[in-house]
Amino acid sequence: MITAERKPLDEILSYIKPFKRILLLGCNECVTVCAAGGRKEVGVLASGIQMSMLKNGASIEIREHTLERQCDPEYVEELVPIIDSADAVLSMACGCGVQQLATRFKDKPVFPAVNTKFMGGSDRHGVWTERCQGCGDCLLGVTGGICPIAKCAKQLMNGPCGGSVSGVCEIGDEVECAWHLIWERLKALGLTDQYLEIMPAKDWRAGGGSGPRKIVREDLAE
Amino acid sequence: MVGAGLGGIRTALDLAEAEKDVVLVDRANNIGGLMTQLDRTFPTNNCDLCTLAPNLSESNRQEHISLMAMTEVRGVRGEKGNFTVSLATRPRYINLDKCTGCGECLKQFPHCVTFTPGLDHRAPTCMRYPQATPYAYAVDLSKCDDVAALVQCCPAGAINPDELGSTGDIACSSIVLSPGASLFDPSGLDYLGYSDNPDVVTSLEYERILSASGPTQGRLLCPSSGKQPKKVAWIQCIGSRGLQKGAAPYCSGACCMFALKEAMVTKERFQEDIETTIFYMDMRTFGKDYERYYQRAKNEFGVRFIHSRPHSVLRAPGAERMELGYTTDDSSRLLTEEFDMVVLSTGFRIGDEVRELASVFDLEINDSNFPVNPGLNQVETSRPGIYVAGTFQGPKDIPETMVQASAAACMAGKDVTVPEIEREREPALPPEKNVVGEEPRVGVFICDCGENIGGVIDVTTLVERVSKLAGVAVAEGVGHGCSRESMAHIRQTIEEQNINRVVIGGCSPRTHESKFQDLIRKAGLNKYLLEFANIRDQVTWVHSHQPVRAIDKAEELLKMAVGAVRKSHPLAEHSLPINKNVLVVGGGVAGMTSALEIADQGFKVYLVEQGVRLGGIAAQLHRTLEGDDIKSFVNDLIERTRAHELIEVITGGIIVDHTGMPGMFTTGMQVGRQMFYRRIEHGVTILATGAVPNRPDLFGLGKSEKVVTQLELQNLIHEGPERVQAWDNVVMIQCVGSRTEENPNCSRICCQNAVKNALHILEVNPEARIFVLYRDMRTYGFQEEYFQKAREKGVIFVRYHQDEPPRVEISDDQVAVTYHDIILERRIQVNADCVGLSTGLVAPDDSSEELAMIFKLPRTHDGYFLEDHVKLRPVDLPTPGFFVAGTAHAPKTIGESLTQARAVASRAMTILAREAINLGAVTAKVDSTRCASCLICVRACPFDVPFINADGYSEIDPARCHGCGMCAAECPAKAIELLQFEDDQVLAKIEQLFAKAVA
Amino acid sequence: MEHFEPVIVAFCCHYCAYTAADMAGSQRLVYPANVKIIRVPCSGKVDSLHIAKAFEKGADGVYVAGCLDGDCHFKNGNDKAARKVAHMRGYLEEIGIEPERLEMVKMSAGMGERFARVATEMTEKIRKLGPSPIKAAAA
Repeated sequence: MITAERKPLDEILSYIKPFKRILLLGCNECVTVCAAGGRKEVGVLASGIQMSMLKNGASIEIREHTLERQCDPEYVEELVPIIDSADAVLSMACGCGVQQLATRFKDKPVFPAVNTKFMGGSDRHGVWTERCQGCGDCLLGVTGGICPIAKCAKQLMNGPCGGSVSGVCEIGDEVECAWHLIWERLKALGLTDQYLEIMPAKDWRAGGGSGPRKIVREDLAE
Repeated sequence: MVGAGLGGIRTALDLAEAEKDVVLVDRANNIGGLMTQLDRTFPTNNCDLCTLAPNLSESNRQEHISLMAMTEVRGVRGEKGNFTVSLATRPRYINLDKCTGCGECLKQFPHCVTFTPGLDHRAPTCMRYPQATPYAYAVDLSKCDDVAALVQCCPAGAINPDELGSTGDIACSSIVLSPGASLFDPSGLDYLGYSDNPDVVTSLEYERILSASGPTQGRLLCPSSGKQPKKVAWIQCIGSRGLQKGAAPYCSGACCMFALKEAMVTKERFQEDIETTIFYMDMRTFGKDYERYYQRAKNEFGVRFIHSRPHSVLRAPGAERMELGYTTDDSSRLLTEEFDMVVLSTGFRIGDEVRELASVFDLEINDSNFPVNPGLNQVETSRPGIYVAGTFQGPKDIPETMVQASAAACMAGKDVTVPEIEREREPALPPEKNVVGEEPRVGVFICDCGENIGGVIDVTTLVERVSKLAGVAVAEGVGHGCSRESMAHIRQTIEEQNINRVVIGGCSPRTHESKFQDLIRKAGLNKYLLEFANIRDQVTWVHSHQPVRAIDKAEELLKMAVGAVRKSHPLAEHSLPINKNVLVVGGGVAGMTSALEIADQGFKVYLVEQGVRLGGIAAQLHRTLEGDDIKSFVNDLIERTRAHELIEVITGGIIVDHTGMPGMFTTGMQVGRQMFYRRIEHGVTILATGAVPNRPDLFGLGKSEKVVTQLELQNLIHEGPERVQAWDNVVMIQCVGSRTEENPNCSRICCQNAVKNALHILEVNPEARIFVLYRDMRTYGFQEEYFQKAREKGVIFVRYHQDEPPRVEISDDQVAVTYHDIILERRIQVNADCVGLSTGLVAPDDSSEELAMIFKLPRTHDGYFLEDHVKLRPVDLPTPGFFVAGTAHAPKTIGESLTQARAVASRAMTILAREAINLGAVTAKVDSTRCASCLICVRACPFDVPFINADGYSEIDPARCHGCGMCAAECPAKAIELLQFEDDQVLAKIEQLFAKAVA
Repeated sequence: MEHFEPVIVAFCCHYCAYTAADMAGSQRLVYPANVKIIRVPCSGKVDSLHIAKAFEKGADGVYVAGCLDGDCHFKNGNDKAARKVAHMRGYLEEIGIEPERLEMVKMSAGMGERFARVATEMTEKIRKLGPSPIKAAAA
């Protein structure tokens, strides 16, 4: 899933300062799952914004709404009857959702209320970690299911650097060395031969190095 | 049921829930017994009142229980199945129907009532604690000099000086006695200075000092100086284990644990400011997980332990602290140390009143005045149809009392043969009005509760203010709202004025919500269209110094209640029909006993045993410590089980799957050599899967035929006495593979086992020299007398330290045991003809792990099934409808296993007697249109109830939901509501509270 | 602020804190009338949103009162509540409301005296802090 984290309140307030009526928009997909922008966080943020206003003797009209998925045009279409009740839209969805809104409602200012962080998964209740950087050319098949791009700080392709000590990365005690993990796992799987094969330099074009990417399924696209 | 302590209440509740009528009799003014005086209980260190209070109010509500406080038994006639008991009730001088427990009489006439424990220097009151049941005071008229004024002072008019008390006979089928024991009075032991030194207190008094409801409101202060003590000492075994003047020969069983608890609670609260020391003879932490509790006290809390019996407690004239004299293991010098407080761990004793009771019932008693029990059934007495439970049966702690209480209920319930008397049926309830979609018409009824509310605020003004609130159709003052007249009036008003929501402004919903829920239901409204504003306990009682602010606050609370009730909607209570078959897993003595007790009451039982034969470990045993013949007992049990027409025995059965909910389970198993699959439907599941003998690779076990376990030694004694007759030296080593790092708990049975085998060896070979090398001898309760007997007969008991264990050397056919003798201060070597290792029991790792997974039940770290509440529900498992008996719960003796088996049968009967289970309405509900299936509820739930269903949404089974609301609080999609505590209701309260500020 | 009477919302769990409040009543322990209790089955039921709304609507202080450590009738609701309170204190600070206005307290059902003391101390503390910035601005 895509993970996100609420922006500092001051930044959010600076965006909406000029406006009197705000539509605060949640998304019931990834940002709900990572507890950043679902119905509940929408309520908590609305209350926080309201308090910030009241504290300064001002007030603001906030309409709360949560879409099933902000990155799809059909769901966004739901907003048509209410969009004009607001002067600006504050979205708690990931960057995809925010842009979908901006594309659909061209004359409406749209602001993000969260920072979109990474593609990841949950380790346990309340903890999410990065798992994938969308390089477009998945290597997991030869690295024992552990990604050296997402998990190695240097994105090395052929084994660890000199900063790996006892399985821990030099950037911090909490970061495991990806290549140490890969080696241990390949060893456990009896696939150390794969490790010894030199990987050529990676073609980063598939990862967005040559502009925005696109997928077209000819059988579906009309 | 004589005695309404914790055990008596449990027995009465079990019987009542099994649809049997109970008369619950107690001498005291209020029920609850000893436990209501405790501060916290081991091993969870929970607040006692919190755990006990639900039981107290429940017993009062049960329609099958008639509670007779202040009542004594005068005589008994008849026999099992048909007794007549004469009762005498003292006058309370207070009408229970009218008394609201306001305390006005106490305030004005404190001397009219007496209250015992010496440390209570508050105004004496008989309302010892706020959850008292019955919730009423009592008056001692002989101490009152102005009766007319006393009668006058009661705002409810409840005091009646002309009450005479009453006597009468009741007929009953069986009798259970659980009058409890008293505590030893140490006044006679002058060397401890209890009677003239105020800083020497008994453990119960110390408990009262620590208690928030006690005389110092929980502040720990030396009674002499009023200062906080810096050093506190506990002295164990005061009045127990037969060494002092007037002491009893038995071990009181619970004192080691409560000393540990008191020391830990003290350390927890005062940390480094206080030093705690326990002087002990043997630390007897033999209960389930108790050894770990002991280790925690030592290692985490820094409680100091000294193995010694102090010689004296002295205070020099004028000295601030007391001097305690003692010697230690490694020194023969007299040491002295100063302490600020000394706590005497006084044991249990049968009081004079209770002894009289035993004679009224004509029970045979032992030398210590406890009733003699004729065989392996601990709750039976010498007189058929009369059963005992709790500390009257023998010294014990709360969980064991609870187990016996249920076991006694099982026995007593079986004797009830009279056909059920046709009850006066309550008139059928009117159908519930459909209020959905109607505009809220709120009826607000405000009590003045006599002076309690009316004395601080003007109810008429309050009514006026509240009547203006939106949605309020009727607002009225109703005097004592819970009186019969007011209740009738409220009901009439609801019906006539077409009220569809109700707010009660009065006392606490904790005590009165169910009463008013019943009322509005009778008036045709759903029970959940009610809100309470607690304007007595939380307003007038606590803000009497600020009447203006009090009325404002009362108004605010009523506004909040009105706001919330407007958002309320009818809720359905969940109920399920019950399948009345029972599945018992495990065919040892516990499983068979549970099966027989349940089948005897007419229910079908499937008894599934994994092995090919019934009997479990007990089938390998010969005699108990007390001399009962186990072999013939087990054979008889197997025969009766096999022959019972309602028991189907399935041997070679392995449980493989399980689904369903309490009352309607389905369990699949593979049976026999062909692994034939079979499915059984049942409403109750009982786990009696037992434990297995431990066999650690220690002390040469298995390397010489002279080194054996106690179980094998027992077989040698009974099957090859001629070999035993040739022995010169026998060495027994205790705690082999128990109380170690790998297996930290005590196996409970080994000490008595060693004593038993030692005595049995001496029976066949009186010349044998027997050495028992032990760490702490844990012959609790009456077992202590056998320990003493073994010492008298010359068995040599030598204490060893864990870090200096005995050594066993095997060379050819010689076995030499070397140990360090503390008293002789030297190493001793014994050439042993036999070394008996006390290896104890362990949980059968694989099979119990698998069962725990299949049934989704928690286990302790050492693999035993974990009960729902270690103190109050020791045989109930956390999943309703599941129970545990015997050594599957923890190591225990056969007698104890049988008691647990009967307790389980009794608990099972409480389910089987009903047609359906009511699960209440306060459960979490998922709105699937909002659910993002994020798993947060699945992870947040402390009971693992929510799951993502086949449709991809979270589903919460109302039958398993405990109603805490944590999932609702964490759901990021706001897809979960906890019914009755829904978001809009909570938010309405907040809105209403601040409505004025906004307007 | 001459005579400021703060309004304090106390979310109390049914089993411990609410019972302790009743206990304070039966012991007739006096405490200020500023504290208004909202009863919840477990302190773990208290929602961050409810805490935020209480402040938004005008509360000068809020506290969540649950069972003592290890005593929660639902295993760990009090720990969850404590974490939520800590998180919301950070949020209040971001908004510009003193985080001390929000507290987590723990008590057993028998601690009537502690309930009264907490209510008194909280009231005194908030009285010193003055009206919440939200209320102050509206005045």
